[in-house]
Amino acid sequence: MSDALRAPRIGPRLLRAIAAVFTLSLVAYILIPVLVTLAMSFSGAAQLRFPIRSWSLGWYAEFAASPQWTGALINSLIIATGTAVMSSVAGVAAAYAYTRYTLRFSTLLYVLLMLPLFMPGIVLGLGVALTFSRFSIGGYSLLGSHLLVMIAHSLWAMPLVFLLMEAVFRMIDRRVIEAAQDLGCPPLRTFFEIEVPMISTGLISSLLFAFVISLNEFVMVLFLTDRDTQTLPVLMWLGLRSAATPQIAVASVVISLSVFACLSLIMVWYVRQLRKITR
Amino acid sequence: MTGPKRSRLAPWLLLTPAQILAVVFFGVPALYMARMSVNAHAPQSYFTPGFTFENYARLTHDPVIAGAIWNTIWLALIGSAVTIVLAYGFALIVWLKPARWRLWFIGLALLPLLISEIAIIFGWWMVFPRNGLLSVALMSSGLITDKISLTYTEGAALVGQVYITLPYCFFILLSVFDGLDRRVLEAALDLSAPPLTTLYEVLLPQTRAGLLAAFAQAFIWTMGTYATPMALGPDTLWTLGFLIQAQMLGKHHWPMAAALSMVLVVGVALVVLLTRWLQLQQRSFHV
Repeated sequence: MSDALRAPRIGPRLLRAIAAVFTLSLVAYILIPVLVTLAMSFSGAAQLRFPIRSWSLGWYAEFAASPQWTGALINSLIIATGTAVMSSVAGVAAAYAYTRYTLRFSTLLYVLLMLPLFMPGIVLGLGVALTFSRFSIGGYSLLGSHLLVMIAHSLWAMPLVFLLMEAVFRMIDRRVIEAAQDLGCPPLRTFFEIEVPMISTGLISSLLFAFVISLNEFVMVLFLTDRDTQTLPVLMWLGLRSAATPQIAVASVVISLSVFACLSLIMVWYVRQLRKITR
Repeated sequence: MTGPKRSRLAPWLLLTPAQILAVVFFGVPALYMARMSVNAHAPQSYFTPGFTFENYARLTHDPVIAGAIWNTIWLALIGSAVTIVLAYGFALIVWLKPARWRLWFIGLALLPLLISEIAIIFGWWMVFPRNGLLSVALMSSGLITDKISLTYTEGAALVGQVYITLPYCFFILLSVFDGLDRRVLEAALDLSAPPLTTLYEVLLPQTRAGLLAAFAQAFIWTMGTYATPMALGPDTLWTLGFLIQAQMLGKHHWPMAAALSMVLVVGVALVVLLTRWLQLQQRSFHV
């Protein structure tokens, strides 16, 4: 009797303690590499070692002054922008067609568009590299060009845009569009003046998600770029394999800040839209 | 007359960019890779056109490749299992915690998803060596007397790999928990079921499909990786991904790289189909 009464009292307390320890360990696990990198980027030492004895912004200055690192950052931004535009145009148009029209072979189409998402980056990168390595457009080699990397990254980004926009298009109140059409508004104008404002949050999210995916990806880039077009993650990887310095930590921080800037943009936009609706 | 005709053409026009992307830059390369994998190789060129199964025969003959396949499966199995346990616990806690905590936990779980894989690898890379965070922290807390190095161990590779797959599994499992009725837990506790019994008899059966999906996700993701085990793991921890890039970028043996990729694709396909089949089994079992 006393056992039955005591068991539930001790049980939950022990359980709560286990849960607290588990949660704290997990929080530490997730934060450790982030905080370590952040701390190391401000190190004044030439090597990656703990404890950090001197603090400086030296490695940041070095990053800004190095044409190799800034060049890689610019390549990353060019490729990410291209990927965002390319995958958003293709993904949004496809999602629009998929949700607005009854298509024959729609399941097959869905599988075809989604399939690249399930493929490891190394397989996609290798396939594109093998197939297009000897192609050139007007003497301009496709392999090692920004364009081919954008296309390869779009293989991952486009299906995600498609998934996101498919959900967005399905959520739109069709009656508003029908009303516009009944009032004689031509289809294109209906799309740009009625639908685009309704899906703007989805569009911005698509663009920025695609941008982030491309910015972070580095296995495909490793196969598809050369010395002149290599991106920041590739340069970091090569640095890690040869002589690692706090410079890589700075590059990590720079690339992560770009990602968080994108995320903040989505949040700001989302809040703005919410305010518009409630007003 | 032009109206209905145009509306039949319009969707396909809209689908054209996406289809070009999927067919020309995914479908064609996939077929070309399959063709490449049966080409022969001569030392001075990337490949010589031919038809041979030599590359596939090497999968079983070559101990390096057989070992890599074994490593890949082993790493994916252990990595996914560890990920699932952590993600399940984490998702369960977030599900049970009051709503005001939720956003913080979700933000935390998003972190590994938003950071580049290379930045994650680099972060852990600074934790494990002799002068790394772990060794120095253990030294200064007096737990060890000599500096230790854990870089280039299987454990380090696992720590990095789990970090990458954790958020995917967490979000899959959290969405599964969100679909459950929290009162079943209360009912179990009211009937004074011990926590472990509740887990086994109430929670696990209801989340089995989600667990399966999360495991498959982690498994597929880990199978295709090579950077994390290569940078954090021992020199002997060669995975299929590592061999693919070594054959392609180092040895310029295109047919072999293609054959290894085909193996990886078949592996991914098998896992997807197996998961699908298991989920269907379960559904028919429950009904």
